[in-house]
Amino acid sequence: MIQLSNALVSVSHVGDVLLTMTVLSVLLSLGSNRLGALVKIMAFQGIVVSLIPFFLEHHGQMSTGSIILLQIMLLIKGLLIPGFMYAAVKKIKIKLEVEPIIGYNASLFAGLIFILLAAFITNRLQISLPVKNELLMIAAITTLAAGLFLIMSRHKALTQVIGYLMMENGIYLIGTALAKQTHTMYVVEFGVLLDLLVGIMIMGIIVHNINSSYDDVDTALLGQLKDN
Amino acid sequence: MQSSLDNLKEGLKMLELIMLIPLLTGIIAMFLPVRLGRGILIVTALLHLQLTVFAWLGKITPALPQYFTVTNEGMLILLVTSFVFLFISIYAISYMSEAEISSEPIYNGCTLLFLATMSMVTMADHLIVLWIAIEATTLMSAPLIFLHRSKTALEATWKYVMICSVGIALALLGCFFVVLAMDLGGVHVPITFTSLGTVAQQLDPVWLKAGFIFLVIGYGTKMGLAPMHTWLPDAHSEAPSPASALLSGALLNCAFLGVYRGHQLMYQAGLGAFSSNILIGFGLFSMLIAAIFIFNQTGYKRMLAYSSIENMGIIAFGVGIGGLATYGAMLHLIHHSLIKSSLFLSSGNILLGYGSKLVNKTGNMAKLFPKTFTAFFAGFAGISGFPPFGIFISELLIIMGAFQQGRMISVSIFILALVLIFAGASRLVTKMCFSRCNDPEILVEENLARTLPSYALLLTSIVLCIWLPDSLYQTILSAIATIGGGVNG
Repeated sequence: MIQLSNALVSVSHVGDVLLTMTVLSVLLSLGSNRLGALVKIMAFQGIVVSLIPFFLEHHGQMSTGSIILLQIMLLIKGLLIPGFMYAAVKKIKIKLEVEPIIGYNASLFAGLIFILLAAFITNRLQISLPVKNELLMIAAITTLAAGLFLIMSRHKALTQVIGYLMMENGIYLIGTALAKQTHTMYVVEFGVLLDLLVGIMIMGIIVHNINSSYDDVDTALLGQLKDN
Repeated sequence: MQSSLDNLKEGLKMLELIMLIPLLTGIIAMFLPVRLGRGILIVTALLHLQLTVFAWLGKITPALPQYFTVTNEGMLILLVTSFVFLFISIYAISYMSEAEISSEPIYNGCTLLFLATMSMVTMADHLIVLWIAIEATTLMSAPLIFLHRSKTALEATWKYVMICSVGIALALLGCFFVVLAMDLGGVHVPITFTSLGTVAQQLDPVWLKAGFIFLVIGYGTKMGLAPMHTWLPDAHSEAPSPASALLSGALLNCAFLGVYRGHQLMYQAGLGAFSSNILIGFGLFSMLIAAIFIFNQTGYKRMLAYSSIENMGIIAFGVGIGGLATYGAMLHLIHHSLIKSSLFLSSGNILLGYGSKLVNKTGNMAKLFPKTFTAFFAGFAGISGFPPFGIFISELLIIMGAFQQGRMISVSIFILALVLIFAGASRLVTKMCFSRCNDPEILVEENLARTLPSYALLLTSIVLCIWLPDSLYQTILSAIATIGGGVNG
């Protein structure tokens, strides 16, 4: 009995380590300017985020179905999408994000503020949450906010796609934090997977088109449509 | 034997055919030569309308009742979509052959797939199925916007996909919150709007509110509510005109249905006042934004796009006000679809004729394109709320409803925005119609195939204004009864 509870403690410790790594990868991506490095960070984050549900206490007894789904998720987030993006990066000539809308130091600082805000929000919400895992909620909100921030503050289309991916990771984490497995069977996993596949597919096609018509993937070049 | 008899009594279980048929023909049309594809487009549009009418009469029921259902508001939007789609398709055939778009099979295929996904939205009952369907509409309509393959079209498509994907992702978060509200309330029912409605009182109110806010932000992005509307003017102006007409006349309604379902759930949970205020706020803000931006507009398709934002704002406002205004909002939805699609179709003729989207490059339409002028000007009168078009009645009902509820400040902002938009738009429209044209060179003559669909849509609006079929009236009444609306205040 004692052994069992020890095992549970260690499992949740691994979960906490993974969550910390997620937050660190978020900060790393906010401060990084090379597209290749960003893709690698995203692959890492994808793997870590997919693994987290394995190590959450309330997901203790998993059905075979959900384990298979998690594996698929791992494959898609850790291998498939980063692979595609890496191939895309190779085709592009200019691999640096030059002059982002918000600088790297400011971005990092914003990331820290997100963590604080996330901690504050989690603290406020705690009363009504089913799972008492503050770190999970903090990591989730930070990832979501940082993803949105990346979409808004970077010029390169690929970086924006990476921001979108990160946002999806955040949503997935929030989903796993909130939903009990009883009657939400696979809703979270299924939704996020579909969103990812569809989004990335369409965005990939458009990025390809942007690259072939402008020889770059800079969305600052896309500034012709405006209200006067 | 007995069971088959029961089936016949209940109606055939094939509601899903309404979306499966366009799905199938859409995929086929993608690989067929252009002429055959056009034939399939029209045939499918007719078949879709027929099936919709059957569903409307209650002759067919869903085969998968855990995911799909027949609701009054869904059927209303399905009918509008199907009707508008038919006329847009007829127009598109003539337009596409003039516009010389190289990838017409893609138009034929994607527009049918787009119809399939929109039909799915109107029938979805499951929270996640609804979300998947709305996500799929983005996927299917993105190629339509990119059809011209120009750099500006690329930009519009990128913005559309990026902004709408983020919005839809936030809506997914909203769905999670609703599920959490179920968990905390100890409710164990399928996650469908129908079954959630029966236990709405037990849901956790805090998380339900949070869920609703995210649903409104998410689906509101697609619907074009300000401040999430920024994709809309670009996409509508860059897409080929039939696609713009579809986006404005059909897609926005479908996204609105997502918001409406959320509002319904809130009302059933006794939180109607909260969600109403949010809808009123977004609605008024959208109208004001449209009023500001329509004033200095240089492109006529962008002007029409801002008018769509305004009208979506009006619908959200009307639904938020409740009572009589809800009835007005539903009428507004129908008439806006009819008139705005007609306007976008006319704008396609103008674009073909002058070869430019800028108001300054056009002029003297009354002389140069008399048929298009009639449709465009009548449509403008209709969208501005002049009788005999239906928007006159719907806006009047919304204003009366708002007065009944004693919302004096909101209603004065509402009227102010309407006046500003009329002033801004009429300046552009008079310039287009009556001012001298500097370079009166007509690239493509107008013809009947491209003006009759516009006339037909406008005529339908007039007819519905004078004579509203009783079944339509009853359907609207039962649809709005679920959020506390009615014609008796």
